[in-house]
Amino acid sequence: MQNVALIIFTILITVITYWLSRKFALKTKNALLTPLLLSTTAIILILKYLGITFEQYKPGKEIMTFLLGPATVGLALPLYINRHILRQAFFPILIGIISGAVATLTTAVVLAKLSGLDSLIVTSIAPKSITAPIAIEIANITGGDPAIAVAFVVFTGTLGSMIGASVLSLCKINNPVARGLAMGVTSHGQGTATILQEGQMQGAMAGVAMALAAIFISFIAPFYIPWLLK
Amino acid sequence: MKNALKFIGQTFLLWLIYYSSTWIVHVSHLPIPGAVLGMIVLFTLLSVGIIKEEWLLTATTPLLKHLSFFFIPIAVELMEWGDLFIQKGHLLFLPLVISTLVALLTTGGIVQFLLTSHEMKEGER
Repeated sequence: MQNVALIIFTILITVITYWLSRKFALKTKNALLTPLLLSTTAIILILKYLGITFEQYKPGKEIMTFLLGPATVGLALPLYINRHILRQAFFPILIGIISGAVATLTTAVVLAKLSGLDSLIVTSIAPKSITAPIAIEIANITGGDPAIAVAFVVFTGTLGSMIGASVLSLCKINNPVARGLAMGVTSHGQGTATILQEGQMQGAMAGVAMALAAIFISFIAPFYIPWLLK
Repeated sequence: MKNALKFIGQTFLLWLIYYSSTWIVHVSHLPIPGAVLGMIVLFTLLSVGIIKEEWLLTATTPLLKHLSFFFIPIAVELMEWGDLFIQKGHLLFLPLVISTLVALLTTGGIVQFLLTSHEMKEGER
């Protein structure tokens, strides 16, 4: 009985914290203050303060993440709605997405390895530009840690959202299609939300890039990541 | 009330696709995430016209809007890894920042180059 009460309590803490941090993030509109970052920090502090361990939080986590799989499958819908975009310039788009996704994964893994980080961290850093639900799955398949992978995904998403548009402008990448795709490949959902403010076209491109990069990387990850780690 | 039932029904359809894709991945030992196969299956079903996009919008709109909610309970596990980030945090900076710049410039540069040369060719014709 005490366990059920604890599960309900941890779920309530999570939902309420998310709700409040979302309201706060919508008001402040700061790329650094995402609901995910705010809520996770707040929940960890609350749990530590109350002396609740992650082991005790876990049953609630299983219940709360039950719909993550179905929601991820739902990502096919925006991709389907924007499919006409792909037809305009199929090969330039595809080549751009694949090169960017492979290049970022490779540099992240190689540099992390050269920095002398543990192999668990190097494996978890690999899917950092991929949308979180799929990055988690890739981390599971390649022997990384899902929570660490999410941390890197969020860091990359936040960094890309903050500097992406300026870096692209600085390097004279002004084509709206190129800008949208670059943001989607780099910073997945967070980048998509940011570049959407530049225009519908950029936003739709970023969404397409995010989905295709995730699909492509999950196909090569089980072979490519172990090969890079060798 | 009607919308709640619609949401549950549509979510069940998504769950069914997710669950069967995960099962296929499991029995066939395909090394891809079940959710990715699920995305491909759903995209195919939509393209063929077996599933209509209106059948799913009531569920996908709120689910995708609040997608980041699902990562919170997963990220909370970081409380077990706090020390690691404090000790090794500085080593992570370079790989994370450089690979972000590489992604932006590779995709942005290649697409812009291919599209401009593509348009120039179109112009010559």
